[in-house]
Amino acid sequence: MTISRKCVPFTPFDRELAKSTIAIVSAGGVHLKDQEAFNIADDLGDLSYREIPPDVDSSQLMVTHHHYDHSDADADINVVFPIDVLRDLEAEGLIGGIARKHIGYMGYTMQLKAMYEGTAREIANEIDKGSRADAVVLTGG
Amino acid sequence: MKGVPTVLITVSPEVSAQMRPPRALYPKGFKIGNSVGRPGMRDLQKQVLRDALGLLTQNTRPGEFVTIEYPEYGEQYEPPRVKKL
Repeated sequence: MTISRKCVPFTPFDRELAKSTIAIVSAGGVHLKDQEAFNIADDLGDLSYREIPPDVDSSQLMVTHHHYDHSDADADINVVFPIDVLRDLEAEGLIGGIARKHIGYMGYTMQLKAMYEGTAREIANEIDKGSRADAVVLTGG
Repeated sequence: MKGVPTVLITVSPEVSAQMRPPRALYPKGFKIGNSVGRPGMRDLQKQVLRDALGLLTQNTRPGEFVTIEYPEYGEQYEPPRVKKL
């Protein structure tokens, strides 16, 4: 299916937040410390992404991204990947739960077509099929 | 795939708009690298996330960017602009 360049691909949210599971997809270069880092040596960028489990200890997350100052994220990953914040909102009852899978990728690329038609669709599929998320919070750096 | 609802939190609304996100929150004046707030400011981070999630349940028009100010964030920053060719 080809999407019009002027079309905004809008999916309505028709559930209650308090009964919904939420996933995070971040372009901020977030990944687990024991996962392969994003390749910042390639001027074209890195089209890969990393799956982040729902029970992750946020102290085990880090950022590999050379197109923004991530020193604040190094101090508190929640400023770009708010997993502990989501947990707080779950405890408050605002949301129903944390999705089974979250995604980190490096939102810098010179390969826009490959990102749009490849990586983005793969991430959407991971979320749709793997995370059981009812909605997604997208963050950048 | 029928699609999954998304809400974007962006500190670069003009740049993000080029990708036509379905709905977006711009926490006004936050700098790049601080999408959800400053380190350790958990109450602020929670409020930003509450506001972003709240957009899911509001009747936003497709492509709408909602700007919210958070005075407790402190020093404000200008967002990057899209260069006109």
